[in-house]
Amino acid sequence: MSHDVMIDLQQVNKFYRGQKAPVVENMSMTIQQGEIIVLVGPSGCGKTTTMKMINRLIEPSSGRILIDGTDVTALDGNDLRRQIGYVIQQVGLFPHMSVATNVGLVPKMLGWDAKRIEARADELLDLVGLEPAIYRNRLPRQLSGGQQQRVGVARALAADPPVMLMDEPFGATDPMTRDRLQNEFLRLQEQLRKTIVFVTHDFDEAIKMGTRIAVLGERSKIRQFDTPENLLASPADDTVAQFIGRGARLKQLDLRRVDAITWEDVPLIQPDKTTNGAKRQLEQTEGSSALTVDADNRPLRWVNADELTAAAGALDGDAGQTVTTVEPQATLRDALDAMLASRDGAAVVVDERGRYAGTVTLDGLMQVIHHTPERGTSGSGVPDQRVGAAPAAELAPEQR
Amino acid sequence: MTFLEYLQSRRELLLAQTLEHATIVLMSVALATVIGVLVALWTYRNPRTRAVATGIAAAMLTIPSFALLGLLIAPLGLGYTPTLVALTMYALLPILRNTIVGLSEIDPALTEAARGIGMSRLRSLSTVEIPLAWPVILTGIRVSTQMTMGIAAVGAYVGGPGLGNQIFSGLANLGGVNSLNQALVGTVGVIVLALTVDFALALLGKLTRAGHRPKLFRPRPARRPTLTPTTAVPSPSLGGRE
Repeated sequence: MSHDVMIDLQQVNKFYRGQKAPVVENMSMTIQQGEIIVLVGPSGCGKTTTMKMINRLIEPSSGRILIDGTDVTALDGNDLRRQIGYVIQQVGLFPHMSVATNVGLVPKMLGWDAKRIEARADELLDLVGLEPAIYRNRLPRQLSGGQQQRVGVARALAADPPVMLMDEPFGATDPMTRDRLQNEFLRLQEQLRKTIVFVTHDFDEAIKMGTRIAVLGERSKIRQFDTPENLLASPADDTVAQFIGRGARLKQLDLRRVDAITWEDVPLIQPDKTTNGAKRQLEQTEGSSALTVDADNRPLRWVNADELTAAAGALDGDAGQTVTTVEPQATLRDALDAMLASRDGAAVVVDERGRYAGTVTLDGLMQVIHHTPERGTSGSGVPDQRVGAAPAAELAPEQR
Repeated sequence: MTFLEYLQSRRELLLAQTLEHATIVLMSVALATVIGVLVALWTYRNPRTRAVATGIAAAMLTIPSFALLGLLIAPLGLGYTPTLVALTMYALLPILRNTIVGLSEIDPALTEAARGIGMSRLRSLSTVEIPLAWPVILTGIRVSTQMTMGIAAVGAYVGGPGLGNQIFSGLANLGGVNSLNQALVGTVGVIVLALTVDFALALLGKLTRAGHRPKLFRPRPARRPTLTPTTAVPSPSLGGRE
């Protein structure tokens, strides 16, 4: 990630005539190029006002707002807004214009020729996952809510603005659609690397979308401005903690992946081998179960010491318990789910071809959760069975 | 002479008077549309100015047409001009009020989106707001047209043009030859003209409805437009018509 400052709010205030208290008071914030900054806070805290001052839909009363080094108040408001993508919760597609016309509005205002606008609209529809041939001539009301918001995003991206402002863009869609739109948008952002200011009151959405999250209190006062990981691990004060709500630990599990925790080794039983070696290994390591694998090293079943003894030499195919597997890229929440499904509280990590790579246990998970504040300490408390696979690297936000 | 014979014998005069009648009505409605839409744009965002504007237009509508036409003789003389001015005044309220309603009923999210993507006020009005309010505005225009059709007949009282002349001379010579035919042909003429023009305006509405490709000769799927012109059509006040 480059560390160029893209948006710089300096001591921004917003007063309304007739109101004693400012809506936004002395707000300062520096946003790097390529970040998704989520402004989150209770309703009426001024988060939307703050966002709208960036494209001057609301004029700041005092202070400076720099975008890429230029003071926005020095520009014509309409010109400024044509260079900033804007997505709102209600989408705001114009119902009397076709999808392609809606998408092409900003390029048209910028004076592009018709052919280029048309090509750009098709390109963008394709980008947001709408087949141009099918959708370009439709009217907005002929689309589902999720499709409409995709068009809304396409319209905001039309002139390839470096900065985008999004005001609860996925707030009006049903949970399943929202989840899909969020994922698609994150994938899109990996390619586009826009600088995005994203307003929401949904903390889970903030965690999911944000490179950094600003938790705002009244008058847009920044209570904490940090990465989702740090916010969850160490909320600055009670208000923030309250806002994060219950289940902060569980939410952390969504942010981190299986390759962030220590993998352990268990005794493996190859298909044509006897169980004696595994039994000896179990006794040595005081482990409880061994894993049977097939010829390709793909895990099959868990067997414990008793079952090994009962089998006396050769295991039949149905002994023991079926395994639950996760891939290294799975979230820790998925891993926890797999662990809970298993008798021994362990999930088997497999590589992309389904071959055994290690196991993760509840103990390992606990280690990570409780070490979160200090980076790079994972593995310290784990004995030497650690598999050399993935280093327990923190998932840096910009890699998501 | 029967009614049909009368129609036959005065064909050219009647045709000319019908045309005059239509012209003065359409001219006054056109004038009222320009004035009404402009005043609406000027006032619709502020509840107070909005109330003042509709109040004045409503007051004008309540002036009896005989009185208004008579009063206009002093500054404007007889004939065409006072009729045109009076009709424009009557036509104003439905158009003004429907334009205000049409504009203020537009989803605020749309005007916000228009601003948010960098549309100037003028561009937002011309490409988004007026096209969306148009069905409602057109409904106002239709009501105004119907209303002024009837009032235009009274214009003959101050020497104005149109079918009113048939009615007035018929009523003046009641009992005389053709007097009933005259009154009848004037009245029926106004009704037929009103229905014809209304049909034409309805057609215009279909052709100009934003976001619809007109399919006049094919049944259209039963899908409701986003903005149905339903609202705020004042019942044509008969205050002016005796």
